[in-house]
Amino acid sequence: MASRLGSSLLRQTCQAPQHQQRVQQLSTTAATAAFRNLKPTNSSPNRSLTDLDDSSPRSTPNDLLRNIFKSGRSQNRENHPREAVKDLRAAHTTDSYLRHMPRRWRAGDLYAPKDLSPVEMKKWRTPHTPKKDVLDMLGLNPLDNYRNFSLISDYMTPFGRIKHSSETGLRPVNQRKMAKTIRRAIGLGIHPSVHRHPEILRLNSRNLPQATSGRL
Amino acid sequence: MAAARSVSPGGALLRASRLFSLPAPIPPPLGDITSSAYNSESSTQPFPTHQVITTLSSSRKRGDWGLKRPLPLKTTTKSSTPMLRVKQIDSIEQITDYSSAADHGLTLKKFQELRLPITAPTKNQNGGYGADRMNLPKRSVFEEDSDFTAVDPEQQGAVKDKRWKFNGPWLAGMTQGDFKKWLAKNVRTRRLEFRQFLKKKLAVEMLRPATQKALDNGEELPSAIDPETISEEQLTEYLRRLRQNNQELYDMVGQFLDLAPLQPPTMSDVRLGLLGGAKADLRTTENPYADSGPPVTHPSAGISYLRTAAYLDNHPIYGPQRNHPPQQARVVRPRRQAIDGKLGVAGFVVETPHGDNYSNNKYNYNPELDRLDPGVEGGAKLWVQPQRASVDSTGRVQVVVGNAKSEDELVVKELLGEEKMFGEVPKPVEEAPPRGGYRARAFGAAQLREQYKNGPKISSAQEYGLGTISHSSR
Repeated sequence: MASRLGSSLLRQTCQAPQHQQRVQQLSTTAATAAFRNLKPTNSSPNRSLTDLDDSSPRSTPNDLLRNIFKSGRSQNRENHPREAVKDLRAAHTTDSYLRHMPRRWRAGDLYAPKDLSPVEMKKWRTPHTPKKDVLDMLGLNPLDNYRNFSLISDYMTPFGRIKHSSETGLRPVNQRKMAKTIRRAIGLGIHPSVHRHPEILRLNSRNLPQATSGRL
Repeated sequence: MAAARSVSPGGALLRASRLFSLPAPIPPPLGDITSSAYNSESSTQPFPTHQVITTLSSSRKRGDWGLKRPLPLKTTTKSSTPMLRVKQIDSIEQITDYSSAADHGLTLKKFQELRLPITAPTKNQNGGYGADRMNLPKRSVFEEDSDFTAVDPEQQGAVKDKRWKFNGPWLAGMTQGDFKKWLAKNVRTRRLEFRQFLKKKLAVEMLRPATQKALDNGEELPSAIDPETISEEQLTEYLRRLRQNNQELYDMVGQFLDLAPLQPPTMSDVRLGLLGGAKADLRTTENPYADSGPPVTHPSAGISYLRTAAYLDNHPIYGPQRNHPPQQARVVRPRRQAIDGKLGVAGFVVETPHGDNYSNNKYNYNPELDRLDPGVEGGAKLWVQPQRASVDSTGRVQVVVGNAKSEDELVVKELLGEEKMFGEVPKPVEEAPPRGGYRARAFGAAQLREQYKNGPKISSAQEYGLGTISHSSR
């Protein structure tokens, strides 16, 4: 009985590939039918010997894809909501603690127990005045850079005031030149006096870096 | 004669004193220019600048540190790590300015326990930073063919690819402002000297065809041309020719100013247009320090004098070990969002291990590395395998760690007493431990012999149920 049923199934399934082959011989396009026909080929005659003891129904490529998507953390979270909540809580704790550890460590830094202490970590939170004159380091003459609104806006507050040398860290000569550059740019009408340059605002709104080399 | 003259007893005492034997402090490490706004004055510097001094406990009780005046007992006697750095022996307020130097002193001890030799950087084959990350074989900085500083000025150019010390700067590491200053101060003043240098080179070059001809014909070699006889017109013509040949001009200038070698831009830099159309027709250099600059001190920085780590660790039971014992690394900063985690080994911040391991797995997160658990006493720690260490051009010690193998980790834990020894039978609790504590008993020879009387257990074919098959096949 079982063998007769099996042979009838075999005949049915064997017909479909024959039909496909005929179509493939005539058609010059890609074998789209091969993709459409993704139903389980449980009783296919091409089953190899290795699958003999595999009693589970064979999976189609669609099933495999679905399994791949399901595997991973998303599935774990679906299956174990408690675990997911626990993980979220741990992540929240981590973020809260990291907010109190603002130091960005670099490979090669040295640390002693005191460097991990809250007192020391607090010092890395507030920005300090640069010790060196940036314009001297870069070899820039501020007066030549009156059109460099990216540079100018670094030495202006968002309300258009010129920053004090205690904030900029420039030496007196460069601070005076920088102030003169800002006044000139505003006087020429090429830089706003009350807020940042619109071009800077545009870059900020798109999260783009303010300084571009222009060559790229 | 003056050196041989004997000094007075008082003078000899003064010369041997701490007052005179303390070396002058070395220049402090350059801060990070890009993030200089965020820093801390009191943080531990990447390398010590002052001599660390210590004293005997008996002297310490009296406050005697060999300095001009005794130091306060209240602050110097309680520490378990009596190390000090003296910033000023006698300040204008008539006090000795000192602070604890346990941070650097202990770091040195911890680093030396790792037993890592300092290696020289390898020349990047592909120009990127990837080659240095790979575990290619490295060379010690103490190899004779590269570790020398006394070079004959005439031979400086010949050993350019081996040296680590140069009189001139490394141009790629200078900012534009520094470069302009250096040009004005050190280069422009040497114009005449450079013309004389070029005349000497030209004299050698002019003689070359004649010498070659004489050699070919087997005649007597022509006498050398006196550089003084070369006219200004000839020199100008030579200069014009040099300007057409970037490589040769750079060689001349580099030799004259003893510049540290530079790695020319790679083809990928040129193709990406990062150089604004500059041509990469310059010769690459073999010097390992051309990529990131020569070191500020001796390339070992004196932190380790080992030449190799190619020795085997022996275990009393398991025999020679393939790897050195792994070390515990502190998770200094957990991995969060896009920011990589940072580990700390022996007080040095290191990158997480590269390659296919937990630290680079995006999905299966590691609770120690990815989450900060305030409940863990002393902070989260991971086992890592220190692989190599080198000192970079800014004087920082870069330790590279790999993933610790779980077998090595287990062996170390057994030795530390954190894990049960292999095959160890737990003893009854009521038995009083003999002298030397529990660990001494676990490693006693009698106990070990008892454990290994029947030999180590090795799995066999019979245990897998294959015994009958193998017999029938015969």
